[in-house]
Amino acid sequence: MAMAALRREGRRFAPLLSPRPIAGVRSSLVSEEDAPFGTRSISTQVVRNRMKSVRNIQKITKAMKMVAASKLRAIQVRAENSRGLWQPFTALLGDTPSVDVKKNVIVTISSDKGLCGGINSTSVKISKALHKLSSGPEKETKYVVLGEKAKAQLVRDSKKDILLTISELQKNPLNYTQVSVLADDILKNVEFDALRIIFNKFHSVVSFLPTMSTILSPEIVEREAEAGGKLGELDSYEIEGGETKAEILQNLAEFQFSCVLFNAVLENATSEQGARMSAMDSSSRNAGEMLDRLTLTYNRTRQASITTELIEIISGASALEG
Amino acid sequence: MTLNLCVLTPNRIVWDSEVKEIILSTNSGQIRILPNHVPAAIAIDIGILRIRLNGQWLRMALMGGFARIGNNKIIILVNDAEKSSDIDPQEAQKMLELAEANVRKVEGKRQTIEANLALRQARTRIEASNAIS
Repeated sequence: MAMAALRREGRRFAPLLSPRPIAGVRSSLVSEEDAPFGTRSISTQVVRNRMKSVRNIQKITKAMKMVAASKLRAIQVRAENSRGLWQPFTALLGDTPSVDVKKNVIVTISSDKGLCGGINSTSVKISKALHKLSSGPEKETKYVVLGEKAKAQLVRDSKKDILLTISELQKNPLNYTQVSVLADDILKNVEFDALRIIFNKFHSVVSFLPTMSTILSPEIVEREAEAGGKLGELDSYEIEGGETKAEILQNLAEFQFSCVLFNAVLENATSEQGARMSAMDSSSRNAGEMLDRLTLTYNRTRQASITTELIEIISGASALEG
Repeated sequence: MTLNLCVLTPNRIVWDSEVKEIILSTNSGQIRILPNHVPAAIAIDIGILRIRLNGQWLRMALMGGFARIGNNKIIILVNDAEKSSDIDPQEAQKMLELAEANVRKVEGKRQTIEANLALRQARTRIEASNAIS
């Protein structure tokens, strides 16, 4: 501000007067980073404001961590209960990711809200890699996206490949009926030979691994069963309870899809809470460290200004005495 | 020789223990499973599952799903399952009346199908809770 006044004066008096920068101007516009040790160029007010905002952020992130921890506990129980559901299917039909199919549909599961670490980015990265791997001369790959975060990332470069997007899954607490309706929707509107569901599986509070589950359409199951291998055991099972074997297999595949999708959605939600918990925890810790450094700066600034005042007073007094 | 029976729903495990024999209702009728059954995959309709252990028959209402029979190990996966002891007869009766009223007044193909399904579910629960078997 002093510089601006000087400039105004300069214009009034003479254009020859060039404004020289005055050292040590007390300006509240100087940022903290330009302040080396001992200069008078920063005010305690600035540092105090910064400390206040960092402290607020730390409180918020701590609260978010606790909220995520409590939500995690509740949903982890449900995710573990739903794990028992798809194991019989895997035992009966096998989880064969390596089956070669023409039409792949990748179902990417992600969260709606952010601040949950890197889980959504890893899911999208794997989806894109899978897309690349399974695109070829006769093959095609499409996406079905669950969750806002993956939608935002995939829409950018694969917009034409996205068949269906669903968001706000977690508005009501997750339950099987809702997910089975969703599965029904997907099955009706999408034609596929293989569905690949990508989600983050919850192993522990600090480890979430991106996982892929494969569901084959009934025709492919038949084809593979005749070809032998893991699915060959399917033929040795008697199928009862319906008119034809194909009808049962189709029912089975649909049921399998909805069970696996339910489990995947629950696991992803659990991983989201866990990732949010650890992200908020590390950001609280960072805020604490920043606060420590700011406190040191604050104290130094305060002491420097006191010393300066003292010097001025004392030199003024000694000048008076002669 | 006993069968190891597991009844699972998406939310929890309803039953997990050894039984002597079970009677399932499928889309094409009722099937009785004894030990040493051939491996089979069976589609289950909305109906009653009867379990025999220690000479007693227990009933459970199942809301459709699948059963897989391995060597003396049965895994039943259903959308929902309730043991007869967990069903309150008055509440089941009320649900039945509601479902019947609903069936009469809905229109539209999809609603009719859903109402009929709800009716069958309510009937199954009543049957299960009246277990005198």
